[in-house]
Amino acid sequence: MAHYLEGEGISTTQISLIREHTEIIRPPRALWVPFELGRPLGVPENPTFQQRVLLKALQLLEAPEGPLLVDFHEEAPEDAPEGGSDPKGWTCPMSFASETRQETDLEKLRSAFDREVAELLPWYDLSMENHGRTAVVEFEPRSASELLGVFGAEGHPVTLKTDISLATALRLAAQDLKAFYFEAVSARPGSAPPSSGGFSRWFWQETAAARILKAVKERCLKSGDKSLKMTGAMFLIPMDQR
Amino acid sequence: MARLEQMMEPMKSHLAELACPSFDHQPWVSGKPLADRRISLISTAGLQRRGDRRFEGMTGDYRVIPGDIPARDLVMSHISTNFDRTGFQQDWNIVFPLDRLRELEAEGIIGSVAAYHYSFMGATDPAEMEPAAQNLVELLKGDRVDGVLLVPV
Repeated sequence: MAHYLEGEGISTTQISLIREHTEIIRPPRALWVPFELGRPLGVPENPTFQQRVLLKALQLLEAPEGPLLVDFHEEAPEDAPEGGSDPKGWTCPMSFASETRQETDLEKLRSAFDREVAELLPWYDLSMENHGRTAVVEFEPRSASELLGVFGAEGHPVTLKTDISLATALRLAAQDLKAFYFEAVSARPGSAPPSSGGFSRWFWQETAAARILKAVKERCLKSGDKSLKMTGAMFLIPMDQR
Repeated sequence: MARLEQMMEPMKSHLAELACPSFDHQPWVSGKPLADRRISLISTAGLQRRGDRRFEGMTGDYRVIPGDIPARDLVMSHISTNFDRTGFQQDWNIVFPLDRLRELEAEGIIGSVAAYHYSFMGATDPAEMEPAAQNLVELLKGDRVDGVLLVPV
């Protein structure tokens, strides 16, 4: 994209997350940053830090010649070894783990999932009231959990009210469910938003929701439908949790 | 964290083996100082206005994001599960630094913020993006943009 725009007379600069890729592509100007995927500006709710990254990237537009690949040396505070709160130290103040962990039967899993969702819903609603914003795109918590619960745990056929395919609906509902869980646990009193790693560990290792998603995945993989198979294989569970 | 050598498998190999295009020519456009430039953002985070078409596949299509969009109307429909979204869930500026850009405009550090910004879904084959890039050139020039910041996810 940078090669193309620049070739048409528009100056470009960019942030690079994977230095090795940028070294091959050699765009006109790039600032490599040492942050995790999904966080090109480094830290949420830290305007000063974000401003430093942004300005460094924009200032490359004033360089006299290139191509340029410059490194941003400052680590994101959360990732720093001496950082205030150890991301590994975050534990969810809610504990439904003990009552759900022993259950293997899908029906029990479904009811554990429903309890979890019911427990989190008021905090999601409060988060919406406080921030006026949610990252939920398509499936509000109740419909996301209903769709995933019915499909994953009960194995019943699912009828969708919308015109989207089942594969797409499951993928979107899975993302929306995670956004709901994150926003809800972040809104609880005395609970600062968890680090990405802290949230990921809690969600994938301790919630009934994660086990529901794994059940959805299994059902997708067994399906004869190509798009469901692909969704199950790639778009429900992150690579590092498979 | 996004240091390839520190990543966990299978993500590490997946990214290390990803095909990247290389180019024979090296275009370079010099220009005005930052304080005189009009800046537009192009994201590959699969961002869209709430209610706009979702990103569905790797077809190189893009979405238009107006410069006066409020944070509550910007959502992410990227299909990958392999990057952190909790940062965006807290603060859109971590992938789409529009508030920061507005601040730089107010401080006179950049000339102005463009009227429109654009978003693709990353992981798309760059060749698929070329027709869209052709459209973008016209749109950006029509908006008098002379500096683009490309932001990955």
